[in-house]
Amino acid sequence: MDTSETHSGMKRRTLLACGAALVATQPFASGLARANAYPSETINYIVAFGVGGGSDIVARTMAKVIDEKKLIPVKMLVENRPGGSGAVGYSYISSRKGNPYYLGGVGVSFFTTPLLGKMPLSYKDFTPLAAIARSPYILAVLADSKIKSIDDLKSAKGLTIGSAGAVSDPALLSHLLNKQLGSSIKVVPYDGEGEVMAAVLGKHLDLLFGNPNEILEQVNAGKMRALAVTSAERMDSLPEVPSFKELGHDIVHTQLRGIIMPKDVPAEAVSYWEGVMKSVAESPEWRSQYVDRFNEIPLFLDSKQFGEEIVATSQRYETLMRELGLIK
Amino acid sequence: MLESWHLLAEGLVAASQPSVLAAIMVGAIIGLFIGALPGLGPTAGVAILLPVAVSFDGTAAIAALGAVYYGAQYGGAVTAILLGIPGDASATMTVIDGHKLARNGRAGAALGLSIAASFIGGLIGLILLTAFATTIAQAAIAFGPIEMTALMIFSLSLVSVLGGRDLNKAMMSLFAGLFIGTIGLDPMVGLPRFDFGEVRLFDGIEFSIIAVGLFGLAEMYATPPSIGKPEENNRFRFRELLPDVRGTLQCWRELGSGSLIGFFIGILPGAGATAATMISYAFAKRTSKHPERFGNGAMEGVAAPEAANNSAAYGNMIPMFALGIPGSGTTAVLMGGLLMIGLQPGPMLFQTQSEFVWTIFGSFYIGNLALVAITIVLTPVLSTCAFVRPSYLFPAVIAIIAFGIFGINNSMFEVALVIGFGVLGYLMMKLDYPPVPLVLGMILGPILERGIRRTLVASDGDVSVFFQSPIALVIILITVVLLVSPWLFKSRASKEHHMDEPQAKKIG
Repeated sequence: MDTSETHSGMKRRTLLACGAALVATQPFASGLARANAYPSETINYIVAFGVGGGSDIVARTMAKVIDEKKLIPVKMLVENRPGGSGAVGYSYISSRKGNPYYLGGVGVSFFTTPLLGKMPLSYKDFTPLAAIARSPYILAVLADSKIKSIDDLKSAKGLTIGSAGAVSDPALLSHLLNKQLGSSIKVVPYDGEGEVMAAVLGKHLDLLFGNPNEILEQVNAGKMRALAVTSAERMDSLPEVPSFKELGHDIVHTQLRGIIMPKDVPAEAVSYWEGVMKSVAESPEWRSQYVDRFNEIPLFLDSKQFGEEIVATSQRYETLMRELGLIK
Repeated sequence: MLESWHLLAEGLVAASQPSVLAAIMVGAIIGLFIGALPGLGPTAGVAILLPVAVSFDGTAAIAALGAVYYGAQYGGAVTAILLGIPGDASATMTVIDGHKLARNGRAGAALGLSIAASFIGGLIGLILLTAFATTIAQAAIAFGPIEMTALMIFSLSLVSVLGGRDLNKAMMSLFAGLFIGTIGLDPMVGLPRFDFGEVRLFDGIEFSIIAVGLFGLAEMYATPPSIGKPEENNRFRFRELLPDVRGTLQCWRELGSGSLIGFFIGILPGAGATAATMISYAFAKRTSKHPERFGNGAMEGVAAPEAANNSAAYGNMIPMFALGIPGSGTTAVLMGGLLMIGLQPGPMLFQTQSEFVWTIFGSFYIGNLALVAITIVLTPVLSTCAFVRPSYLFPAVIAIIAFGIFGINNSMFEVALVIGFGVLGYLMMKLDYPPVPLVLGMILGPILERGIRRTLVASDGDVSVFFQSPIALVIILITVVLLVSPWLFKSRASKEHHMDEPQAKKIG
């Protein structure tokens, strides 16, 4: 335990130094190629949702870490453009085609709103830059529930599970679960994660797929029991809870905390942000202010890897929405 | 419980340190203005201050954000009374009698009463929050989809009380509101409804747009031009600016019932302060000895909703602090603030962050006192609005409305919507359709729809589950009794006093 920590600490420090070096040399290197070094203007981080929500917290914490560590030579402004289930904000970003001064985050609506066909865009209208954290989902029940394990779900009848919105990660996961187990758990949509949690605590629902932050709080208070996690491996904060994968169920789905830019931005901007995001991902500030605080899984994905995950996620949603009859 | 008061005393001391006091004052004043600005309500206020507030230290940040929330409840009434425009959604019911009072030359009395009602409602809400937060949270979650359905059926039945003279027109208005409430993404299936291919309607129509259009703009459209001939009530009388202490004290029953109803509705996740004001207003009218005075400038008609919306603000915070569940848009943003400063609201918060929680509660008491002081000083100044000629006042107010509505989502589309709803409100006024059932339908309809559909998804379409919950059964029984009793009473009364028929009809 001790050695691994020092090791990762060392590794982090070297990578940090690399990141810093990269950032330091970048303006100089590109300065040779062009008169104006990138970035020379303020960076606008557009949040397609309201203040105080999950996407907003990611954006503001990221901006704070970048500012504290002086990772970019210009200012970064976080601006909220909510509306139309993300359509307003994402349309705004994509309309800045080729402009490397507009950034955005990726949430569930990034995939589902375009798939509904009401927004003339898709993930293909954006450039993936990097992802810097991963949030798994935890399937949980009330502590006094008769359901003790995933196997109990197969035999139980008339179970209900909550979801924030009709098309969401918990809804997607519930349908995967039903397919894998052959169960018929009914998905009941609510308006937000908070309402779902209230309904489970009040025994109006049997199950929920929650993010680590909200579930751990209830598990630690002795109110809930975690059954399984949707990441490929077990979580450090819940070492005794198995993953679906190790139980033999093909359910691996997590939410990536990553950033995107409009289509056709210069390649140098992509590699620049890969460098900045790598420094953020490996900084102790990001670890303590975001990853550890919200019990997420630290990681770094570059533009290519992140792009592949975006395609896979979009396909998963497309399949779900077809099965639900939302799209033809 | 005794321990609670001891902890609160410590919290009050902690909340009196200069940095927290400054944060309370900043939050309260911002809240007051945001609340008074038509369109922007407490959710917007908390959201605007959030990015700044998280750079304060943790306690001060949340004290400031909380102050914006309850400050807005005070501010909303000011615009509602003086200009007849709901400053925020939960001040809509205050317009009905508050603005009538102001036009009858009692602006000061109405404002004074709204301050007293806000304070008393706030205090009762706070005391209940302090004493029973965790216990009440447990009771709140007993309300699931079935119980919410019953509660909404009960609330909608109140339209018979609020509807005005013509029940058919009231029902038309109610159904228009129910329809507007269905616009946007279907909450259960996720497909857009009645969006006319317009992405900007995906999230539905913001309630404040409708309230400001129907109540505020409509009235301005309908005011006849009076250029050159100053009306009689434009003459300045100092007495009108002062609060009316005796009249306020006479409303003690409505202040009490409004506070309790507001608090109770406020704790239910997904119900909200606006629904609370409607139910408390209807309750006050239903139990009044002079229901005919409601709608024509009754002091009680201001007392009940104003006590309710302040009390509801604290009720609303209970599920957040005690269970980690945001019950409304405002508490969702507030919870984002807690998360950003590194606190996880939930069942452990009272144990692990006891000092923080009690300092925040302490700051709420201080903030309420501060708001009373600020608003009482401002009352005579603000009341002079009542003496400004429409030709000067209206252009300024319309500009403020446009600014406030634009500020919700930075959207010109919504400014166009508010103008459209103003026209609708004008037509309804001219054709004598009451606007109150419409707003009632729009607020309560979506909650009802979700309740019914969630229940039926879980029960596989079995309707009998609605009658298997004891809570729901009791509420439905009360509804039936309330609906049938005036009918029985009236038919008997009309037999006994056949001569009084026209008058009885007017009251009903």
